[in-house]
Order: sequence, then C-alpha cells, then structure tokens
Amino acid sequence: MADLPDRIDLRVHRDLHSPAFNRPARYAILALIGAVVVLGLLNVFGQRPSTSRAESAKASLEITAPSRVRGGLLYQARFTIEAYEQLDHAVLQLGPGWPESQQMNTIEPSPVAETSHDGKLAFTLGTIAARQKYVLYLQFQVNPTNVGHRNADVTLYDGNARLFTIARTITVFP
Amino acid sequence: MDIVIRASVVFALLYTLMRVIGRRELSSLEPFDIILLVVLGDLVQQGVTQDDYSVTGIVLAIGTIALLLLGVSFANYKFPRLRPLLDGEPILVVQNGEPILRNLKRERVTLEDLAAAARQQSIGSIENVQWAVLETTGVISFIKKDDA
Repeated sequence: MADLPDRIDLRVHRDLHSPAFNRPARYAILALIGAVVVLGLLNVFGQRPSTSRAESAKASLEITAPSRVRGGLLYQARFTIEAYEQLDHAVLQLGPGWPESQQMNTIEPSPVAETSHDGKLAFTLGTIAARQKYVLYLQFQVNPTNVGHRNADVTLYDGNARLFTIARTITVFP
Repeated sequence: MDIVIRASVVFALLYTLMRVIGRRELSSLEPFDIILLVVLGDLVQQGVTQDDYSVTGIVLAIGTIALLLLGVSFANYKFPRLRPLLDGEPILVVQNGEPILRNLKRERVTLEDLAAAARQQSIGSIENVQWAVLETTGVISFIKKDDA
C-alpha cells in the first residue's frame, strides 16, 4: 500500500477536522449572500417608486418617485398637483436631496422660473386653474459618488403662502 | 478614492464567494462556465469603475486588486494558521480504491466526475487508485496503488 501523500493528514484531510471545513461558517456566509438578494427583491435597495400625498383646502400634491436608489440609476419623479381652488402663483420647493449630486436630465413641462428659496430649489409653475391638474416630470440620474441619506421634502406654495409639506427622504446606496 | 474602495469590496466579495461555493465549480470550465465568467467580469467592471473611462481609473482598479492579491498570498505564506481559511485544505476523496462518499458529497463531486478525472490521468478504474486528493484548485490528483 502506498504511503500517505506528503502533507496529508487523515484527521484533517479525510475526516475534515479543520477550520477550512467549518460548515456553519460556510452556510452563514451563503445565507448572508442570499439575504442580500432577498432584500433586493423586497426593494430595500431601491428603485421601486413610492407615492406620497398631501392636501389642503386649496390643492393636493402627489409625488411618485423612488426614495431609495443606487449610484448610476436613471429614475423619474412625478409631481401631480390638483387644484381645488385656483392657485395664482404655484411654487414647488424641493429639499436638498433632490438636486444634490444628481443629474437632472429633463424637467417637463419647463417651469416658468427656477430660483432658490433659502438654499432650496424652487420651481415657479405659474397659475393652475381650479379643478385642473398639473403634472411635472423630472428625470434624474444618480451620481455614483452620491452615497448617503438626505432630506427630500417637497413644499407647495401659492405665492408666499405655504400650503403643505410632504416629508420625504432619499437614500442612495453605493 | 471611491474606485479603490469599490475594487476592495468587490475583491473581498469575490474571494469570499469563491471560498464558500466549493471547488466543484472551480474545477469544471464547461461552455456555460465560460459564459458565466464573461458575464461576471462585465458585471464586476460596471460596479468597480462605473462611468469612469479614464486610464487613471483603470490603473487604480487594477493596482488595488493586484495589491490585495499580493497581500493575500503573502499572508498565506507568512501565517500558516491562516492557510486553511484563505486557501482551503485538500480533501481525500479515495482511499485504497474506495471512494470516500462523505467527502465527495460535501464537494458535490459525483462518482462519474471522479471516474472522468481518473480517465484523464490514464487510470481506468478507481480500484487502482490508492489515494485521490481533491486539491484546493479543484483538480483531483491520483496516486496509484504500487501494484497497479
């Protein structure tokens, strides 16, 4: 019978008594990888859109956009304003999470004016007649280095009068 | 800086993945495996360099992976206690002409795979094998019986 090959130990290499053959550790790592995949399916890492809504006596606002995205992704945010009464000077103010390190590829329809409200991006939309809808589409692409969690509140004004604020955040995964 | 971190994360992920999936997958390069390798390479590239088309980016990514590979092989050489974790251990799969089924099952190697590997080394029957060792690379080494 041939001798046991060099550097082979029956206890280790046949009976598998070694840290290299640690089954629980192996299964734990595989389970961790599987858990990440399942979390991805459950939209934990984005980019499925969510809808937020607020209303006052004068108007309602509905935002449909993902609140969790990843670097490089293209996505759309849709802002639907429904005026119950005429808004003479509708202004949509976006929190810093919307423009910060994101490419704003398209804004349709183009706002009447764009300005800064105390450091926040504000779009002047003009007049929205009573019982009319105004839908604003914004197309974004996330900069790959834009990782983090930011405030993405949206406030609707009529002139200087604040109608309401929708509290949102945006989380960017690497 | 980002590209170095991304390359390091991808290296760690791939290294861990290769260690836990077992060597059954490492040893066989069938047509599907080759396609999978190409697809995997493409996916990894996007995650590491993203929209960076610069030569600097390539140098950073490749440099990071090369240094990490060097670091792992140095640790493997310098610290023997880390070897089982970093490199794995060879596994005996045949002793005295008898396949060790428990070890074959653990690495998902069938008796057909074993016989095919033996044939590739001009061994007609497992009965003629004294020892067969599934190496850490996924290759099976055969040591014939003295009288075979």
